[in-house]
Amino acid sequence: MDTQEYIESGILEEYALGVLSEVERANVERIAREHLVINQELKDIIAGLDGYAQAHALPPPPALRERVLEAWQQAAREMAPPQKAAATAAEALPRMVASSAPMPEAAAPREAVVRQMPAAANAGRRWMIAASVALLLLSALGNYLLYSRLKETEANLQVAQTEQSRYAATQKAALNERDQQLAVLRNEAFQPVDLKGTPKAPDALARVYYNARTKAVYVDVRNLPALPEGKQYQLWALDNGQPVDAGMLANATAAGDSIQQMKNIASAQAFALTVEDIGGVVSPTMSTLTVVGNI
Amino acid sequence: MLPVSASTPESVALENEVLLVQRLRDRDEGAMTIFYDKYSAALYGVILRIVKKEETAEDVLQEAMVKIWHAFPSYDASKGRLFTWVMNVSRNLAIDKIRSRQYRVSSRTQPIEESAALRQAAEPSFRPEHIGLQEMTRQLNPDQRQIVDLLYFGGFTQSEVAEELNLPLGTVKTRARAAIKVLSKLIR
Repeated sequence: MDTQEYIESGILEEYALGVLSEVERANVERIAREHLVINQELKDIIAGLDGYAQAHALPPPPALRERVLEAWQQAAREMAPPQKAAATAAEALPRMVASSAPMPEAAAPREAVVRQMPAAANAGRRWMIAASVALLLLSALGNYLLYSRLKETEANLQVAQTEQSRYAATQKAALNERDQQLAVLRNEAFQPVDLKGTPKAPDALARVYYNARTKAVYVDVRNLPALPEGKQYQLWALDNGQPVDAGMLANATAAGDSIQQMKNIASAQAFALTVEDIGGVVSPTMSTLTVVGNI
Repeated sequence: MLPVSASTPESVALENEVLLVQRLRDRDEGAMTIFYDKYSAALYGVILRIVKKEETAEDVLQEAMVKIWHAFPSYDASKGRLFTWVMNVSRNLAIDKIRSRQYRVSSRTQPIEESAALRQAAEPSFRPEHIGLQEMTRQLNPDQRQIVDLLYFGGFTQSEVAEELNLPLGTVKTRARAAIKVLSKLIR
Protein backbone atom coordinates (compact mmCIF):
# COMPACT_ATOMS: atom_id res chain seq x y z
CA MET A 1 0.00 0.00 0.00
CA ASP A 2 1.23 3.43 -0.93
CA THR A 3 0.85 5.23 2.40
CA GLN A 4 1.74 8.62 0.91
CA GLU A 5 -0.96 8.30 -1.70
CA TYR A 6 -3.43 7.28 1.00
CA ILE A 7 -2.49 10.29 3.11
CA GLU A 8 -2.85 12.63 0.15
CA SER A 9 -6.26 11.26 -0.78
CA GLY A 10 -7.75 13.52 1.88
CA ILE A 11 -9.58 10.69 3.63
CA LEU A 12 -7.81 11.31 6.93
CA GLU A 13 -9.08 14.89 6.96
CA GLU A 14 -12.57 13.63 6.26
CA TYR A 15 -12.21 11.16 9.11
CA ALA A 16 -11.17 13.93 11.46
CA LEU A 17 -14.00 16.17 10.27
CA GLY A 18 -16.48 13.38 10.94
CA VAL A 19 -18.02 13.16 7.47
CA LEU A 20 -17.23 9.51 6.75
CA SER A 21 -19.63 6.63 6.91
CA GLU A 22 -19.21 3.98 9.61
CA VAL A 23 -17.66 1.51 7.21
CA GLU A 24 -15.21 4.07 5.90
CA ARG A 25 -14.29 5.08 9.42
CA ALA A 26 -13.63 1.53 10.48
CA ASN A 27 -11.49 1.12 7.41
CA VAL A 28 -9.42 4.22 8.20
CA GLU A 29 -8.91 3.03 11.76
CA ARG A 30 -7.80 -0.39 10.62
CA ILE A 31 -5.32 1.08 8.15
CA ALA A 32 -4.05 3.56 10.77
CA ARG A 33 -3.40 0.66 13.14
CA GLU A 34 -1.41 -1.11 10.48
CA HIS A 35 0.65 1.87 9.28
CA LEU A 36 2.44 3.95 11.85
CA VAL A 37 2.96 6.81 9.37
CA ILE A 38 -0.74 7.04 8.69
CA ASN A 39 -1.53 6.77 12.38
CA GLN A 40 0.81 9.67 13.14
CA GLU A 41 -0.61 11.72 10.28
CA LEU A 42 -4.13 11.14 11.54
CA LYS A 43 -3.18 12.17 15.07
CA ASP A 44 -1.60 15.35 13.73
CA ILE A 45 -4.66 16.24 11.72
CA ILE A 46 -6.95 15.72 14.71
CA ALA A 47 -4.65 17.71 16.94
CA GLY A 48 -4.51 20.53 14.38
CA LEU A 49 -8.30 20.75 14.17
CA ASP A 50 -8.64 20.50 17.95
CA GLY A 51 -6.19 23.36 18.23
CA TYR A 52 -8.16 25.38 15.73
CA ALA A 53 -11.31 24.75 17.76
CA GLN A 54 -9.53 25.66 20.97
CA ALA A 55 -8.36 28.91 19.40
CA HIS A 56 -12.00 29.89 18.96
CA ALA A 57 -12.73 29.37 22.63
CA LEU A 58 -14.96 32.03 24.10
CA PRO A 59 -16.26 31.93 27.67
CA PRO A 60 -20.04 31.68 27.58
CA PRO A 61 -22.10 34.24 29.52
CA PRO A 62 -21.67 33.52 33.26
CA ALA A 63 -25.41 33.09 33.74
CA LEU A 64 -25.38 30.17 31.32
CA ARG A 65 -23.43 27.98 33.72
CA GLU A 66 -26.29 27.66 36.17
CA ARG A 67 -28.84 27.18 33.43
CA VAL A 68 -26.91 24.50 31.60
CA LEU A 69 -25.97 22.58 34.71
CA GLU A 70 -29.53 22.71 35.97
CA ALA A 71 -31.00 21.55 32.67
CA TRP A 72 -28.44 18.82 32.45
CA GLN A 73 -29.12 17.67 35.99
CA GLN A 74 -32.84 17.62 35.33
CA ALA A 75 -32.32 15.61 32.17
CA ALA A 76 -30.00 13.23 34.00
CA ARG A 77 -32.54 12.70 36.78
CA GLU A 78 -35.40 12.21 34.36
CA MET A 79 -33.36 9.49 32.81
CA ALA A 80 -32.50 7.85 36.11
CA PRO A 81 -35.79 6.35 37.45
CA PRO A 82 -36.59 3.90 34.64
CA GLN A 83 -33.07 2.58 35.02
CA LYS A 84 -34.08 -1.04 34.55
CA ALA A 85 -35.57 -0.62 31.12
CA ALA A 86 -34.52 2.65 29.56
CA ALA A 87 -31.05 3.02 31.01
CA THR A 88 -29.99 -0.45 30.09
CA ALA A 89 -31.27 0.09 26.61
CA ALA A 90 -29.55 3.45 26.41
CA GLU A 91 -26.34 1.92 27.61
CA ALA A 92 -26.53 -1.23 25.61
CA LEU A 93 -27.06 0.58 22.37
CA PRO A 94 -24.05 2.91 22.53
CA ARG A 95 -21.84 0.01 23.68
CA MET A 96 -22.97 -2.08 20.80
CA VAL A 97 -22.35 0.82 18.51
CA ALA A 98 -19.01 1.58 20.07
CA SER A 99 -17.76 -1.85 19.16
CA SER A 100 -18.88 -1.60 15.59
CA ALA A 101 -18.39 2.12 15.00
CA PRO A 102 -14.84 3.35 15.23
CA MET A 103 -15.48 6.76 16.74
CA PRO A 104 -18.12 7.52 19.30
CA GLU A 105 -19.43 10.58 17.51
CA ALA A 106 -20.51 8.44 14.60
CA ALA A 107 -24.14 8.48 13.61
CA ALA A 108 -25.26 5.56 15.75
CA PRO A 109 -24.48 6.89 19.22
CA ARG A 110 -26.28 10.02 18.26
CA GLU A 111 -29.21 7.81 17.49
CA ALA A 112 -29.11 6.45 20.99
CA VAL A 113 -29.19 9.92 22.42
CA VAL A 114 -31.73 11.36 20.10
CA ARG A 115 -34.40 9.45 21.90
CA GLN A 116 -33.43 11.13 25.13
CA MET A 117 -32.91 14.53 23.64
CA PRO A 118 -36.54 15.62 23.84
CA ALA A 119 -36.48 15.27 27.61
CA ALA A 120 -33.40 17.41 27.79
CA ALA A 121 -33.84 19.77 24.93
CA ASN A 122 -37.41 20.22 25.90
CA ALA A 123 -36.43 21.28 29.38
CA GLY A 124 -35.81 24.73 27.98
CA ARG A 125 -38.87 24.59 25.86
CA ARG A 126 -40.92 23.27 28.73
CA TRP A 127 -39.72 26.15 30.83
CA MET A 128 -40.78 28.49 28.09
CA ILE A 129 -44.17 26.82 27.85
CA ALA A 130 -44.58 27.13 31.61
CA ALA A 131 -43.62 30.78 31.39
CA SER A 132 -46.06 31.26 28.52
CA VAL A 133 -48.86 29.62 30.46
CA ALA A 134 -48.07 31.77 33.48
CA LEU A 135 -48.10 34.86 31.32
CA LEU A 136 -51.36 33.78 29.74
CA LEU A 137 -52.96 33.24 33.13
CA LEU A 138 -51.65 36.56 34.33
CA SER A 139 -52.97 38.23 31.25
CA ALA A 140 -56.33 36.52 31.66
CA LEU A 141 -56.53 37.66 35.26
CA GLY A 142 -55.60 41.17 34.19
CA ASN A 143 -58.23 41.07 31.49
CA TYR A 144 -60.80 39.82 33.95
CA LEU A 145 -59.99 42.60 36.40
CA LEU A 146 -60.09 45.21 33.69
CA TYR A 147 -63.33 43.78 32.35
CA SER A 148 -65.07 43.79 35.73
CA ARG A 149 -63.83 47.30 36.33
CA LEU A 150 -65.18 48.30 32.95
CA LYS A 151 -68.54 46.72 33.79
CA GLU A 152 -68.59 48.54 37.11
CA THR A 153 -67.80 51.81 35.40
CA GLU A 154 -70.50 51.20 32.84
CA ALA A 155 -73.03 50.50 35.61
CA ASN A 156 -71.98 53.65 37.45
CA LEU A 157 -72.28 55.63 34.27
CA GLN A 158 -75.76 54.24 33.68
CA VAL A 159 -76.83 55.21 37.19
CA ALA A 160 -75.38 58.66 36.68
CA GLN A 161 -77.12 59.02 33.36
CA THR A 162 -80.44 57.85 34.78
CA GLU A 163 -80.14 60.27 37.67
CA GLN A 164 -79.15 63.03 35.36
CA SER A 165 -82.10 62.45 33.04
CA ARG A 166 -84.43 62.13 35.98
CA TYR A 167 -83.11 65.40 37.35
CA ALA A 168 -83.46 66.99 33.93
CA ALA A 169 -87.04 65.73 33.68
CA THR A 170 -87.84 67.05 37.15
CA GLN A 171 -86.27 70.37 36.33
CA LYS A 172 -88.07 70.51 33.05
CA ALA A 173 -91.38 69.77 34.74
CA ALA A 174 -90.69 72.36 37.39
CA LEU A 175 -89.73 74.85 34.73
CA ASN A 176 -92.94 74.09 32.80
CA GLU A 177 -94.93 74.64 35.93
CA ARG A 178 -93.19 77.96 36.59
CA ASP A 179 -93.79 78.99 33.00
CA GLN A 180 -97.43 78.14 33.40
CA GLN A 181 -97.64 80.03 36.66
CA LEU A 182 -95.87 82.96 35.10
CA ALA A 183 -98.33 82.84 32.23
CA VAL A 184 -101.16 82.95 34.76
CA LEU A 185 -99.68 85.92 36.57
CA ARG A 186 -99.04 87.78 33.34
CA ASN A 187 -102.38 86.91 31.83
CA GLU A 188 -104.72 89.87 32.14
CA ALA A 189 -107.70 87.54 31.96
CA PHE A 190 -106.83 86.39 35.49
CA GLN A 191 -108.15 88.64 38.15
CA PRO A 192 -106.11 88.79 41.33
CA VAL A 193 -108.15 88.52 44.52
CA ASP A 194 -106.35 89.30 47.76
CA LEU A 195 -107.51 87.18 50.69
CA LYS A 196 -106.76 88.92 53.96
CA GLY A 197 -106.41 87.50 57.41
CA THR A 198 -109.37 87.37 59.74
CA PRO A 199 -108.97 88.68 63.29
CA LYS A 200 -108.07 85.12 64.21
CA ALA A 201 -104.97 85.31 61.91
CA PRO A 202 -104.33 88.97 61.13
CA ASP A 203 -100.97 88.37 59.41
CA ALA A 204 -102.30 85.75 57.07
CA LEU A 205 -102.31 86.66 53.40
CA ALA A 206 -103.09 84.79 50.19
CA ARG A 207 -104.05 85.61 46.65
CA VAL A 208 -106.39 83.90 44.23
CA TYR A 209 -106.19 84.36 40.45
CA TYR A 210 -109.54 83.81 38.86
CA ASN A 211 -110.29 83.64 35.15
CA ALA A 212 -114.00 84.25 34.77
CA ARG A 213 -113.94 83.18 31.14
CA THR A 214 -112.09 79.83 31.50
CA LYS A 215 -113.25 79.34 35.12
CA ALA A 216 -109.67 78.56 36.12
CA VAL A 217 -108.63 79.26 39.70
CA TYR A 218 -105.08 79.55 41.06
CA VAL A 219 -104.02 80.16 44.62
CA ASP A 220 -100.80 81.82 45.75
CA VAL A 221 -100.07 81.77 49.45
CA ARG A 222 -98.00 84.59 50.96
CA ASN A 223 -98.37 83.70 54.59
CA LEU A 224 -100.60 81.27 56.43
CA PRO A 225 -100.42 79.99 60.01
CA ALA A 226 -98.89 76.55 60.43
CA LEU A 227 -101.48 73.79 60.41
CA PRO A 228 -102.18 71.46 63.33
CA GLU A 229 -101.60 67.75 62.78
CA GLY A 230 -104.19 66.12 60.49
CA LYS A 231 -105.46 69.41 59.06
CA GLN A 232 -105.38 70.95 55.59
CA TYR A 233 -106.42 74.29 54.13
CA GLN A 234 -109.52 74.18 51.93
CA LEU A 235 -110.39 76.89 49.41
CA TRP A 236 -113.96 77.99 49.06
CA ALA A 237 -115.65 80.10 46.43
CA LEU A 238 -118.64 82.10 47.66
CA ASP A 239 -121.30 82.40 45.03
CA ASN A 240 -124.39 84.33 46.09
CA GLY A 241 -123.57 83.61 49.69
CA GLN A 242 -123.20 79.88 49.11
CA PRO A 243 -119.78 78.27 49.77
CA VAL A 244 -118.52 76.05 46.92
CA ASP A 245 -115.57 73.70 47.39
CA ALA A 246 -112.59 74.87 45.26
CA GLY A 247 -110.16 72.16 46.38
CA MET A 248 -107.53 71.35 48.99
CA LEU A 249 -104.21 73.20 49.22
CA ALA A 250 -101.11 71.04 48.92
CA ASN A 251 -98.57 71.43 51.72
CA ALA A 252 -96.12 73.12 49.32
CA THR A 253 -98.82 75.59 48.34
CA ALA A 254 -99.76 76.28 51.94
CA ALA A 255 -96.09 76.89 52.74
CA GLY A 256 -95.93 79.42 49.88
CA ASP A 257 -93.51 77.44 47.72
CA SER A 258 -95.59 77.54 44.58
CA ILE A 259 -98.97 78.57 43.26
CA GLN A 260 -101.51 75.83 42.70
CA GLN A 261 -104.32 75.39 40.23
CA MET A 262 -107.58 74.67 42.03
CA LYS A 263 -110.97 73.38 40.87
CA ASN A 264 -112.72 75.37 38.17
CA ILE A 265 -115.31 77.72 39.55
CA ALA A 266 -118.27 78.79 37.37
CA SER A 267 -119.10 81.90 39.27
CA ALA A 268 -117.96 83.58 42.49
CA GLN A 269 -117.92 86.88 44.30
CA ALA A 270 -115.52 85.99 47.08
CA PHE A 271 -112.91 83.34 48.08
CA ALA A 272 -111.96 82.06 51.54
CA LEU A 273 -109.69 79.51 53.21
CA THR A 274 -110.71 77.37 56.17
CA VAL A 275 -108.82 74.75 58.14
CA GLU A 276 -110.40 71.36 57.66
CA ASP A 277 -109.64 67.68 58.16
CA ILE A 278 -107.34 66.22 55.54
CA GLY A 279 -109.32 65.53 52.36
CA GLY A 280 -111.76 68.34 53.00
CA VAL A 281 -115.37 68.66 53.98
CA VAL A 282 -118.66 69.47 52.20
CA SER A 283 -119.39 72.70 54.04
CA PRO A 284 -116.83 75.01 55.61
CA THR A 285 -116.20 75.23 59.33
CA MET A 286 -116.72 78.93 59.75
CA SER A 287 -114.84 79.04 63.04
CA THR A 288 -111.61 78.17 61.24
CA LEU A 289 -111.92 80.85 58.55
CA THR A 290 -108.37 82.15 58.08
CA VAL A 291 -108.43 84.49 55.11
CA VAL A 292 -111.22 85.92 52.96
CA GLY A 293 -111.44 88.40 50.08
CA ASN A 294 -114.01 89.76 47.65
CA ILE A 295 -113.56 89.96 43.94
CA MET B 1 17.22 13.80 44.30
CA LEU B 2 14.24 14.56 42.14
CA PRO B 3 10.99 12.89 43.02
CA VAL B 4 10.43 9.98 40.73
CA SER B 5 6.85 10.94 40.04
CA ALA B 6 7.74 14.48 38.97
CA SER B 7 4.85 15.33 36.77
CA THR B 8 4.98 17.61 33.78
CA PRO B 9 1.98 19.96 33.20
CA GLU B 10 1.04 17.75 30.31
CA SER B 11 0.93 14.60 32.34
CA VAL B 12 -1.14 16.40 34.99
CA ALA B 13 -3.61 17.44 32.31
CA LEU B 14 -3.75 13.90 31.00
CA GLU B 15 -4.18 12.53 34.48
CA ASN B 16 -7.00 14.99 35.10
CA GLU B 17 -8.66 14.00 31.89
CA VAL B 18 -8.43 10.30 32.72
CA LEU B 19 -9.91 11.04 36.13
CA LEU B 20 -12.69 13.11 34.66
CA VAL B 21 -13.50 10.41 32.13
CA GLN B 22 -13.65 7.86 34.92
CA ARG B 23 -15.99 10.02 36.99
CA LEU B 24 -18.23 10.64 34.00
CA ARG B 25 -18.27 6.95 33.27
CA ASP B 26 -19.33 6.35 36.88
CA ARG B 27 -22.22 8.76 36.31
CA ASP B 28 -20.79 11.07 38.95
CA GLU B 29 -22.93 14.18 38.62
CA GLY B 30 -20.31 16.39 40.23
CA ALA B 31 -18.06 15.62 37.29
CA MET B 32 -20.36 17.55 35.02
CA THR B 33 -19.57 20.82 36.79
CA ILE B 34 -15.88 20.17 36.35
CA PHE B 35 -16.54 19.26 32.76
CA TYR B 36 -18.43 22.49 32.18
CA ASP B 37 -15.73 24.65 33.69
CA LYS B 38 -13.09 22.88 31.68
CA TYR B 39 -14.72 22.65 28.27
CA SER B 40 -17.58 25.15 28.02
CA ALA B 41 -15.50 27.99 26.59
CA ALA B 42 -14.04 25.85 23.81
CA LEU B 43 -17.41 24.29 22.97
CA TYR B 44 -19.28 27.58 23.19
CA GLY B 45 -16.74 29.34 20.98
CA VAL B 46 -17.05 26.76 18.23
CA ILE B 47 -20.83 26.48 18.55
CA LEU B 48 -21.21 30.24 18.36
CA ARG B 49 -18.94 30.32 15.32
CA ILE B 50 -21.29 27.84 13.64
CA VAL B 51 -24.72 29.09 14.67
CA LYS B 52 -23.70 32.77 14.90
CA LYS B 53 -26.50 33.71 17.27
CA GLU B 54 -25.63 33.84 20.95
CA GLU B 55 -29.07 32.71 21.98
CA THR B 56 -28.91 29.65 19.74
CA ALA B 57 -25.35 28.94 20.82
CA GLU B 58 -26.48 28.85 24.45
CA ASP B 59 -29.25 26.41 23.60
CA VAL B 60 -26.93 24.20 21.62
CA LEU B 61 -24.36 24.17 24.39
CA GLN B 62 -27.06 23.07 26.80
CA GLU B 63 -28.21 20.34 24.43
CA ALA B 64 -24.63 19.29 23.91
CA MET B 65 -24.02 18.87 27.65
CA VAL B 66 -27.06 16.65 28.00
CA LYS B 67 -26.14 14.69 24.93
CA ILE B 68 -22.56 14.19 26.08
CA TRP B 69 -23.84 12.86 29.38
CA HIS B 70 -26.22 10.41 27.79
CA ALA B 71 -23.86 9.31 25.06
CA PHE B 72 -20.89 9.07 27.35
CA PRO B 73 -20.92 5.26 27.61
CA SER B 74 -20.12 5.24 23.91
CA TYR B 75 -16.97 7.32 24.34
CA ASP B 76 -13.90 5.16 23.84
CA ALA B 77 -10.84 6.83 25.34
CA SER B 78 -8.54 4.53 23.39
CA LYS B 79 -9.76 6.05 20.15
CA GLY B 80 -9.25 9.69 20.92
CA ARG B 81 -9.10 12.48 23.45
CA LEU B 82 -12.18 13.52 25.36
CA PHE B 83 -11.79 17.01 23.90
CA THR B 84 -11.97 15.68 20.34
CA TRP B 85 -15.03 13.65 21.10
CA VAL B 86 -17.04 16.31 22.93
CA MET B 87 -16.04 18.89 20.34
CA ASN B 88 -17.36 16.67 17.57
CA VAL B 89 -20.61 15.97 19.42
CA SER B 90 -21.14 19.69 19.94
CA ARG B 91 -20.07 20.62 16.45
CA ASN B 92 -22.44 18.08 14.93
CA LEU B 93 -25.31 19.38 17.05
CA ALA B 94 -24.58 22.94 15.98
CA ILE B 95 -24.32 21.98 12.31
CA ASP B 96 -27.56 19.99 12.56
CA LYS B 97 -29.11 23.11 14.01
CA ILE B 98 -28.15 25.41 11.15
CA ARG B 99 -29.22 22.79 8.67
CA SER B 100 -32.60 22.28 10.27
CA ARG B 101 -35.48 23.77 8.40
CA GLN B 102 -36.67 25.64 11.43
CA TYR B 103 -33.35 27.41 11.80
CA ARG B 104 -33.18 28.33 8.17
CA VAL B 105 -36.62 29.84 8.31
CA SER B 106 -35.82 31.83 11.44
CA SER B 107 -32.56 32.99 9.91
CA ARG B 108 -34.07 33.98 6.64
CA THR B 109 -34.05 37.60 7.67
CA GLN B 110 -30.28 37.48 7.83
CA PRO B 111 -29.05 38.76 4.51
CA ILE B 112 -25.78 36.87 4.56
CA GLU B 113 -25.96 33.33 3.34
CA GLU B 114 -24.50 30.72 5.64
CA SER B 115 -21.54 29.86 3.52
CA ALA B 116 -20.92 33.48 2.68
CA ALA B 117 -20.95 34.32 6.35
CA LEU B 118 -18.47 31.56 6.99
CA ARG B 119 -16.05 33.10 4.55
CA GLN B 120 -15.94 36.21 6.66
CA ALA B 121 -13.15 36.54 9.13
CA ALA B 122 -14.09 35.59 12.67
CA GLU B 123 -13.60 38.14 15.37
CA PRO B 124 -10.27 37.58 17.03
CA SER B 125 -10.70 36.40 20.58
CA PHE B 126 -8.26 36.95 23.37
CA ARG B 127 -6.98 33.61 24.58
CA PRO B 128 -3.62 34.14 26.21
CA GLU B 129 -3.31 30.53 27.33
CA HIS B 130 -3.60 29.15 23.83
CA ILE B 131 -2.20 29.94 20.49
CA GLY B 132 -4.33 32.87 19.54
CA LEU B 133 -6.78 32.72 16.73
CA GLN B 134 -5.06 35.63 15.08
CA GLU B 135 -1.74 33.85 15.25
CA MET B 136 -3.29 30.79 13.65
CA THR B 137 -5.11 32.61 10.94
CA ARG B 138 -2.01 34.61 10.11
CA GLN B 139 -0.36 31.33 9.28
CA LEU B 140 -3.18 30.29 6.98
CA ASN B 141 -3.59 32.01 3.66
CA PRO B 142 -7.14 33.25 2.90
CA ASP B 143 -7.88 30.32 0.57
CA GLN B 144 -6.85 27.78 3.19
CA ARG B 145 -8.75 29.60 5.88
CA GLN B 146 -11.88 29.65 3.79
CA ILE B 147 -11.74 25.94 3.15
CA VAL B 148 -10.99 24.97 6.74
CA ASP B 149 -13.86 27.11 7.94
CA LEU B 150 -16.30 25.60 5.47
CA LEU B 151 -15.19 22.11 6.44
CA TYR B 152 -15.01 22.59 10.17
CA PHE B 153 -17.72 25.15 10.91
CA GLY B 154 -19.97 24.62 7.93
CA GLY B 155 -20.08 20.84 8.08
CA PHE B 156 -19.33 20.68 4.36
CA THR B 157 -17.68 17.67 2.77
CA GLN B 158 -14.72 18.32 0.51
CA SER B 159 -16.93 17.68 -2.53
CA GLU B 160 -19.48 20.18 -1.26
CA VAL B 161 -16.75 22.74 -0.74
CA ALA B 162 -15.53 22.16 -4.29
CA GLU B 163 -19.02 22.72 -5.57
CA GLU B 164 -19.61 25.73 -3.36
CA LEU B 165 -16.38 27.43 -4.36
CA ASN B 166 -16.38 26.23 -7.95
CA LEU B 167 -13.04 24.57 -7.55
CA PRO B 168 -11.75 21.16 -8.69
CA LEU B 169 -12.05 18.59 -5.90
CA GLY B 170 -8.31 17.97 -6.09
CA THR B 171 -7.56 21.61 -5.37
CA VAL B 172 -9.87 21.57 -2.38
CA LYS B 173 -8.19 18.46 -1.00
CA THR B 174 -4.72 19.91 -1.44
CA ARG B 175 -5.67 23.17 0.22
CA ALA B 176 -7.47 21.45 3.06
CA ARG B 177 -4.49 19.20 3.71
CA ALA B 178 -2.08 22.11 3.56
CA ALA B 179 -4.23 24.16 5.90
CA ILE B 180 -4.64 21.41 8.48
CA LYS B 181 -0.92 20.74 8.29
CA VAL B 182 -0.24 24.36 9.17
CA LEU B 183 -2.59 24.05 12.13
CA SER B 184 -0.98 20.83 13.36
CA LYS B 185 2.46 22.39 13.20
CA LEU B 186 1.29 25.32 15.27
CA ILE B 187 -0.06 22.96 17.89
CA ARG B 188 3.07 20.91 18.19
